[in-house]
Amino acid sequence: MENEEPRIGVFVCECGVNIGGYLDTQAVADYALTLPNVVHTKVNKFTCADSGQAEIQAGIKEHNLNRVVVASCTPRTHEPTFRACCKEAGVNPYQFEFVNIRDQCSWIHMWDWEGATAKAKDLVRMGVARSRLLEPLDESSVPVDQNVLVIGAGVAGMQAAIDFGDMGYNVYLVEKGPSIGGRMARFDKVFPTNDCSICILGPKMVEVARNKNINIMSYSEVTDVDGFVGNFEVTVLHKPRYLDTDICTGCGACQEVCPVELPSEFNENFGIRKAIYIPFPQAVPMRAVLDKDNCIGCKACEKACEAGAIRYDQEPIYEKLKVGVITVAVGMDAFDPLPHNNYGYGLYDNVITTMEFERLLNAAGPTGGHVVRPSDAVEPITVGFINCVGSRDVNENIYCSGGVCCMFSIKNAQLLKEKRPETNHYIFYMDIRSTMRGFEEAYNRARDLGVKFIRGKPVEITEKENGNIVVRVEDTLKGEIVNVELDLLVLGTGLVPNEGISEMGSILKLPRSADGFLTELHPKLAPVDTTTDGVFVAGCAAGPRDIAYATAHGSATAGRATRLLSVGSAPIMGITARIDEDKCVVCGVCVDKCPYGVFEIVGTNGDRRINVVEALCKGCGTCVTACPTGALEQSHFKNDQVLAQVRNVFQYGGE
Amino acid sequence: MTKSNKSNISDALKDAGIEILTCLQCGTCSGSCPSGRYTGMITRKLVRMARVSTDVLHDPDLWMCTTCYTCQERCPREIKITDAILAIRAIAVHEGIMLPEHRKVSQLVLEHGHAVPINDAVKEKREHLGMEALPETVHKYPDALADVQTLLESCGFDKLVAGAQE
Repeated sequence: MENEEPRIGVFVCECGVNIGGYLDTQAVADYALTLPNVVHTKVNKFTCADSGQAEIQAGIKEHNLNRVVVASCTPRTHEPTFRACCKEAGVNPYQFEFVNIRDQCSWIHMWDWEGATAKAKDLVRMGVARSRLLEPLDESSVPVDQNVLVIGAGVAGMQAAIDFGDMGYNVYLVEKGPSIGGRMARFDKVFPTNDCSICILGPKMVEVARNKNINIMSYSEVTDVDGFVGNFEVTVLHKPRYLDTDICTGCGACQEVCPVELPSEFNENFGIRKAIYIPFPQAVPMRAVLDKDNCIGCKACEKACEAGAIRYDQEPIYEKLKVGVITVAVGMDAFDPLPHNNYGYGLYDNVITTMEFERLLNAAGPTGGHVVRPSDAVEPITVGFINCVGSRDVNENIYCSGGVCCMFSIKNAQLLKEKRPETNHYIFYMDIRSTMRGFEEAYNRARDLGVKFIRGKPVEITEKENGNIVVRVEDTLKGEIVNVELDLLVLGTGLVPNEGISEMGSILKLPRSADGFLTELHPKLAPVDTTTDGVFVAGCAAGPRDIAYATAHGSATAGRATRLLSVGSAPIMGITARIDEDKCVVCGVCVDKCPYGVFEIVGTNGDRRINVVEALCKGCGTCVTACPTGALEQSHFKNDQVLAQVRNVFQYGGE
Repeated sequence: MTKSNKSNISDALKDAGIEILTCLQCGTCSGSCPSGRYTGMITRKLVRMARVSTDVLHDPDLWMCTTCYTCQERCPREIKITDAILAIRAIAVHEGIMLPEHRKVSQLVLEHGHAVPINDAVKEKREHLGMEALPETVHKYPDALADVQTLLESCGFDKLVAGAQE
């Protein structure tokens, strides 16, 4: 088949009016027929539709085609479709060539019919030239290990772990903190229905602990991931808790006697914890952890521990795991207003963040559920909430946190109003985004309770001598500047990428978007897949989202990953780097440059050569450009194939 | 073609490199405006009006801005608000719209080369302090004043600011 005379069919898609409305598709098809080896052309209304694909297959049969060129949209979404279509009709899927005349012609030259048509002809000519030289390639497959790694045990990671576990797969659930539960464990109540957060999360945490297939690795971090889909080798660091978790009963006697008092991270630094402490009352695993950096070595805890669990000499342990698929659910952080002192945060005592407010509102929090203001511990009467803090602002983050901040401000105002009806509440907003089910009803409830909504972004915050906060803002609906005096101001801080996300991104070779969150494979059609096969992303790691959304995504990763687990094998693309050993001088440049670890030098002295592990190759081409002797070539992107396109940019047969 | 031929203010601003269509109408500009504390000026409304109609050219608030640039500094969308106000004023002047006070000041510049020309009291004070009565400006050099006037006339400033008070 390789030496067969190319018989090329060119199919030009109108995509309704998406392409057909802006350039002359028939002229493009007629032109294509004048090109060498093109034996059939056809304009399709929608090439990707059933009818369009049928026309491709009919063309293949009728004209005995061995190459297919489709001029339509983007390979990102449609290449698999057309490859499968060709394969079904007996043409090797790698002898299919995609020409994008939508993004590159009709979309960007939509006011230039002639120009767009001429450019489409140029692109088709280039595609045909390349198509003539395309070689058939084989796809292979690799076995998929039946173990699963879930990174991050917030609500998204927990849900993924539960689903994997329930389906019978062994799960390693790695959590950086001393307890699973994530951010949700710190909230008081959750919108829109205002159910107690830990009351609904607690049972899920217990469910994780009880699931025989889930191996919780708390206080641990993933430090390295090697390998490829189905065959990842993971290194996990178990940080020392300085106690034997098999013996510790979580009784808390150690923290009773510990003399060192530190700000409690779980309570957003309100209240204290000890140097040895139980993370929080519902922690899973219910085990203490010793913060060695702040321990003074008095050994009071050792004496108090009846079980004798304390181990001061514990060392970090690195464990190697082998897994087939990975769910990344490393979560988010709240925007930190401290560095820029946004709205006086850090300058004035009575300006706090919404996460701090959550802990004050929480019955298990540092004040037993009494919201007090930090300056004098008095319960405030008038409370203001500013939305979009750190969001929708080019000076901080341009994106919106997806309505999460709108809703928690509404919820918090509502909760305090219900608890203490004598209180007054202002919410300063630019737009209220109550988009999901039940959100608008919650917004209505807050209005009904008398929460005052002022549309405007506050500009100046001043502190009075009695600690009160004055907010200057334009009430844009009235067109009036107002000064509102408050007892307490709460900043609705937006969601930002977790501080560890960049490291996790490089460990797993996942790209990040402009907003700093991980990029999904496709924002609509592959929202939990990533560019790394076998790695899936859930929850706030891939953008700001609420609990329901994060949980659904957790389940979604389990579903997507189980496609690989249940079949037990994963397909490997045919596009890989190939080495010409006659040209290779074993310089090892490719070994250093390859981001996927495809190459290794084997043998000694005169017998040294490069070993290529094709299953690892993602076809990125980095090695090919780096190779100084030209020994490496990328199948499907061979020099002659690419140069054929270049030579035909201006006219057919250009040299 | 002068700018005044533009029926659409936001297009004219766009030509001048000023994008106002991404405005959120959040009110950061109005809340920050020091002039707005003493006048009726709501900066946000000017930006709003500029994107929907040419009415903004006739709004007296257009002339209340002191061009302190606080709004431009604080805008969460990096809109060049102060620059936009200056550009809109230029369009208004080309349309013959100007507050009497501003027209008067412009005419003073044309006549004396100074927005605030020297007067007898100042001259007296200068002499009292041992200085020459006239400073080293066009006040002292009538030829230079003629040059300034030539410059202003050559760019049409005289015609723009001439005419009856509105």
